[in-house]
Order: sequence, then structure tokens, then C-alpha cells
Amino acid sequence: MRMKYILSEVLTGLWRNVTMTIAMIITMTVSLTMLGASLLLFFQVNKMEDFFYQRVEVSIFLKADVTDEQRANIKSALEGHTLVKEVTYESRDQAWDRFQTQFRDAPDLVKATKKESLPESFRVKLKDPKKVKELQDEFLTQPGVSDIVDQQELLKKVFELLGALQTLALTVAIIQGAAALLLVANTIQVAAYSKRREVAVMKLVGASNWFIQLPFVLEAVFAGLIGALLAFGGLVAAKFFFIDGSLKALANVLLPIDWSSIWLMLPVLAGAGGLVSAITAWITLRFYVRV
Amino acid sequence: MTKTYPKASRPSLDDVSVNIEKGEFVFFIGPSGSGKSTIIKLLLHEVTPNKGKVVVNERDVTSMRSWRIPAFRRQIGCVFQDFRLLPNRTAYENVAFALEVIGKSKGVARRVVPEVLELVGLGGKEHRYPHELSGGEQQRVAVARAFVNRPLILLADEPTGNLDPDTSIEIMRLLDRINRTGTTVVMVTHDSNIVNQMRRRVVEIESGRIVRDQSRGVYG
Repeated sequence: MRMKYILSEVLTGLWRNVTMTIAMIITMTVSLTMLGASLLLFFQVNKMEDFFYQRVEVSIFLKADVTDEQRANIKSALEGHTLVKEVTYESRDQAWDRFQTQFRDAPDLVKATKKESLPESFRVKLKDPKKVKELQDEFLTQPGVSDIVDQQELLKKVFELLGALQTLALTVAIIQGAAALLLVANTIQVAAYSKRREVAVMKLVGASNWFIQLPFVLEAVFAGLIGALLAFGGLVAAKFFFIDGSLKALANVLLPIDWSSIWLMLPVLAGAGGLVSAITAWITLRFYVRV
Repeated sequence: MTKTYPKASRPSLDDVSVNIEKGEFVFFIGPSGSGKSTIIKLLLHEVTPNKGKVVVNERDVTSMRSWRIPAFRRQIGCVFQDFRLLPNRTAYENVAFALEVIGKSKGVARRVVPEVLELVGLGGKEHRYPHELSGGEQQRVAVARAFVNRPLILLADEPTGNLDPDTSIEIMRLLDRINRTGTTVVMVTHDSNIVNQMRRRVVEIESGRIVRDQSRGVYG
């Protein structure tokens, strides 16, 4: 009976103040969606950094007029080198094949490119990816070498972009979160005011504090949980429509966020939304309304 | 004990000491602002004294931890001048509310509430809303609500303040009946008529001090 009483109190409370409830849920949703996105980006960036830096290659492009002797010298120098883990040679033919498959969706580009304009190269994997500079200094001056491209430079830019996105999402999450908390506090105050007679009687006849406070706290928790659920829905939709949908090609390389991480966000967001609302509501009751 | 409200220039109650026996019926009388209502607030632990102790049922209320207050208040019934009924609940629901919010089941309420409404003379009017009842009847509902938990003490803060003389006397008869069941009744009033008729112990307070304590007393 007590549970039934409390639940009916919660529902009538939410309904009595329905515009405030909606505002509370919307801000919660936005805040939690951004929190979820930020967390996903954070974990993804960490995971990808490891993944990519282990696979990243240094490409040593050779001049078009490289001689066989120069090529052999470079090859032997690389193979015996202490920094180098693995060397593969990519001939002009192989480069051309790869170019064709890589850009098969852009036939105009393939048509406009001549096989001769593609350089041959050595693809080098380093034992320690951070020591690329040493290799660069050593080999750039070798005869026959035209350029050394470190993929890390490119990756760094990508990660910087993702990091900036993550910070942005987190900032929005915090700002919206603050708004959500203020709304929760306000809602609780309004609810407590509209139930002041009941509360006065309850205190008078000796209802326990938790019994008086629980309906108010649960109102806030309810909004927090609905917000978390909607935020989770937002993340699922983002995964469905962007990462698996229109941005698939890009996302597969940059942000292969899998369903298991998305699912993990449900308890995380529900916990964050519920807990933060509960604490805010309780503090409001305890220190401002003095219910 | 002494109670000074913040911002007050003089204490509301100044070095007051009263002993009330179990089962007694006591009037606290005095002009407005004399501090008599503060006694009710102290007994309910709505306020705490600055100096001295409030002991109820051999328990020091002053030093009571806040989480124990609800259980403490279940031993006390309380009636006010303005009835303090919930307007959107019937007489029955108002009384049952007091039981439900302290965790009593609906079954208990179904058994006890009609009984106590009968006792206060509201049999047959259980399903009226407060606005459908007269002032005297509303105060009866309030008394029923205060008494439904069979408290040790019934506090009444000017319970007849909003009632005409005849209705007031009916309410006093009711409080007298409740007192005869063994419940201590503490009533704050400035209704001389009633005090004179009841001939019970009278404690007169003026400017925060006891000026008279008389058994079977009259008003002023």
C-alpha cells in the first residue's frame, strides 16, 4: 500500500506540473545525449590511438628517376636498421592497383591519373612509432628518396578533431546538465509548495521523513530516467542513421563505434541521470524547502 | 526553560517551568503574544528551547535526534484553530490520511476511522468534504484525526477560536471525553467562557512568565 501511495503521488505530481516535467525531461535528454556522445568519443579515441599507432606506417617515396642501385641501397639500409620492424616494397604496379581499388568509387579520378605519376615506395613499420623523426632525418638525404610521409601526422590531426568534438560534447553536456539541475530544483520547490498542506499534516502526525520526501525525489528520478532513455534512443539513432548510415564509409575508418559500447551507455546514462536528479531533489528538499 | 525567537527583543517564554501529569487537562491562558502557543510548538519539537529542557513521557525532547521526531510525534495529537484539513479529501479520507502516512494499512483505516468518526459525533458524514461541513464539524474531523492514533497527549491550540460559543462547548465536551479515556490534554486558549465552565487546571502566562498556576481555576 505504501508503495502504491508513493507511486500515485509521483504520477499525480508529474502530471500536475506537466510543462515543467517536459522541460526537465528535454534538458535531461540533451545533457545526457551529449554526455553519452562524449564518453563514446573518449573511449573510441583511446582505443583507436592504440590501434592506429601500432599499424601506422612510414612511407618512403622514391624519385621517379631512381636507379636500381639506389633502390637496393635503401632497401638494405632499411632492412638492417635498428628502428625498423618491417619493410615492404611497393612497386609502381602495386601502387597503381591499390590506387584503383581505393578510389573505385571515383572513376573520373582514376581515369585522370596516370600510372607513371604514382611513385614507388618502401612501407616501413617502426618498432617504436615515436621515433619516426630519427628515421626521417637519416633517410631523407639518401639519394633516390623524394619524400618521407609519416601517417602519424595525419592521424594526429584526426585525433585532435575528435578530441575537440569530445570537449564540445562534454561542454554542452555540462551546461545543459546545470540547466537540468536548476529545473529539477525548481520543480521540486513548486511540487512541495503545491503539496504544502499535505506535507504539513504528514509532519504533524509523524510520517517519517523518507515517506514525505520520497515522492518528490522519485519525481525527479523519473524525469532523469526518462531523459536517460531518450538520450540512449538518440545515441542508437545516431549509430543507426550516421555511423551505419550516411557516414558509413567515413565512420568505418574513423569511428567504428560498435553496438556493445552503445548498449553500455544505457546503464551509464540511466545511472547518471537518476542519481544526479535524486541528489539534487534531496538537497533541494533538505536545505531549501525544509520538507 | 527559556525560548527566544531570533530577532525577538525579549524571550517568548522566560524561565518557565511547568509539570503536567499524565491524564491531566490543562489550560494555558493569556493575551496574544504572551507565549502560550510557543508551549505547543516546544512540545511538538517544532522549535527547541534556548535554555532548559522539554521532557515528554520521560524522554528529553530537546536533545532528540531529528530522525526520531516523526516517531515521537505519533504519540501526540494536535488540533488547531484553523482545523488544517485537506480540502480535497472527505472527512473519512482526512482521518485515514493520518494513518496511511505513518504506514498503517487500508484495512486498519477501514476498521478504526469509522469508529473514531462515530466517537466525535460525525457518524453518517464520513463522505462529506470539509467545505460541506460546518466549522464545528470540521473541528470534529480534526479532533478525530488527532485522536485516531490514540496519542498519549492531545495538544489543542485555540481549538475554539473560529467557533461560536455553542459549538465551542460541544468541542470542549468532546475534548473532555477524550481526556477521560486517559489522554493528557493541553489546550491553549483565551476563551474565558470555556475556561470558566470547565474548571480545570489553569496556567496563566503573561509576557513569557507564568503568573498563575491553579487547579480548578477560572479565567482571569
